[in-house]
Amino acid sequence: MAEEPVNEAAPVPVAVRRKSLSALPFLVALASLAVPGLGHAWLHRWGRALAFFVAVGGLALTGYIMRGQVFTTVSNDPFGRLGFLADACSGVFYVLARFLEATGPNLSRAAGDYGTRFLASAGIVNLIGMLDAYAIAGGRRG
Amino acid sequence: MVIFALLVSIALAGIGRHTAAQRIKYAVWSFVLFLAIGIGLAWLMYPFSR
Repeated sequence: MAEEPVNEAAPVPVAVRRKSLSALPFLVALASLAVPGLGHAWLHRWGRALAFFVAVGGLALTGYIMRGQVFTTVSNDPFGRLGFLADACSGVFYVLARFLEATGPNLSRAAGDYGTRFLASAGIVNLIGMLDAYAIAGGRRG
Repeated sequence: MVIFALLVSIALAGIGRHTAAQRIKYAVWSFVLFLAIGIGLAWLMYPFSR
């Protein structure tokens, strides 16, 4: 039986490769969560890295200066647990809480209450930065 | 409120725009809007506080 002639002019179909799950976006997101702006710096997005470091750091430091409450893992109510999640998302600034707010919270004044909100906002803004870094590393954003 | 508006505007400008000039312009606009809406809402709630 004669073989069919091979048409060398026809394009060879490219084998469909399975889309592999790259670890880079997750690592970038973790870096951004640990240190605000680090994920963006890893991707050489220096403007965004600086913006998030200044924003998250400024919010956290302002919260500590106002002597806001820093929530811990030990809490009796859902509000405290949510507060811990929000505070912890500020990464290294949460770890430094014991040094930056050595005198502890002062909720007897309005400033302490505002400080609590500032600390939670720092974590939320860092979450936004983490998601942005993840999207850039995954190629979904420019 | 001013400090919060300033810092959040910096973060939003960082992800919303790509060049330094665009970021500064967007941050200023966002900061002004934060203050205007915050003060506006406060005045709207004022009659209900009495």
